[in-house]
Amino acid sequence: MTAPPLTADALSSAADGLLAERASDGDSKAFEVLARRYAPAMRGYARRITGSFADADDAVQESLLQAWTKLGDLSEPNAVRGWMMRITANASINLVRRRKSTTSIDAVEDPADPAPTPETAALTATGMTALTAALARLPEEQRHCWVLKEMGNQSYEEIARTLGITSDSVRGRLSRARATLLKEMEAWQ
Amino acid sequence: MTPDALDPGCGRTLEELSDYLSAGSSPDSLHMDNCPQCQAALAALRRLHTLTGQLLESDLHQAGSTDEPWFRSIMDNLRLETKAGRSIALAGAHPDDDLSETEGAVVALIRTIGDTVHGATIGKCRFNGNLETPGAPIGIEVNVTALWGERLPDLANTLRQTLAQALARHTELNVDDIDIAITDLGVVSPGSKGNGTAP
Repeated sequence: MTAPPLTADALSSAADGLLAERASDGDSKAFEVLARRYAPAMRGYARRITGSFADADDAVQESLLQAWTKLGDLSEPNAVRGWMMRITANASINLVRRRKSTTSIDAVEDPADPAPTPETAALTATGMTALTAALARLPEEQRHCWVLKEMGNQSYEEIARTLGITSDSVRGRLSRARATLLKEMEAWQ
Repeated sequence: MTPDALDPGCGRTLEELSDYLSAGSSPDSLHMDNCPQCQAALAALRRLHTLTGQLLESDLHQAGSTDEPWFRSIMDNLRLETKAGRSIALAGAHPDDDLSETEGAVVALIRTIGDTVHGATIGKCRFNGNLETPGAPIGIEVNVTALWGERLPDLANTLRQTLAQALARHTELNVDDIDIAITDLGVVSPGSKGNGTAP
């Protein structure tokens, strides 16, 4: 009735909840599987918030470290994906703010996409390119709210906590961001 | 042009329409479903939503895969601290001995041993009882994902016995109860021990 011990490879198809439980008990192999499963989404999200892959990688690393440390606080192990994405948003926003305090505003890298490679150019429709450009033109405070809400699926309350503002401010910024994006979108179609 | 100028013009706001779109319902849905201005605004919001979804996909695609150097570099830099947990007091051969082992070490043992039982994958483990007093009775709760198709009472019994034997052999814990909770059912996945779980 025995089988060989589980390897990280064998754990790779395990459910999120099981991996989260094991990782919170100190199973680093289970945590690696989770990291592998969600790191690309975390990196894409962090890059959208920070504006560069270099910063995104720092944010993802910081987020994974925090996730490992705080996994015991996660009350619903099955919800680990959303929880990791929220940690990623927090770490990314904090990184942007730290950069701000050491760099002049003008020197901060614009979060617009880098020049499209042939690959991305083929992949991006006109509308998407235009949306990216419109997002880049939004005031940063609005863009962060919009990305956290529409791309991160976070609630008003979570965004408020992450940004250190009130839910009403989140609502207001989102409302302005949405109106601006829609207005610009009228010109694309 | 102020943002408000984009409101549909029938007294409803973009925000209300956006909430309707994301919630799928609204106390005002009768109007929104029949008002041409609201419908036009909803169509624009839907288009923005679709584009956002495409952007999200493109971001994920551009982020690359975990086979690439960025991921290896992150994992290499990541120093995961060992989770020792609480300290469990052990009785020494001499009264002056002050021996202990960590909760983390015992949990790792439970995982390693438990995973070898066919059809079981160990999840969360918890200890109940007085860990500071050597020899005090300790209860252990173990969450288990069971392979689909296993007879669960048999699986729980085998697991309980296997863990009890291993703990008696490798630790000095006075385990008086091992509570096995089957918390999930897994399905066999090719090339693995069968620890994948159904969606």
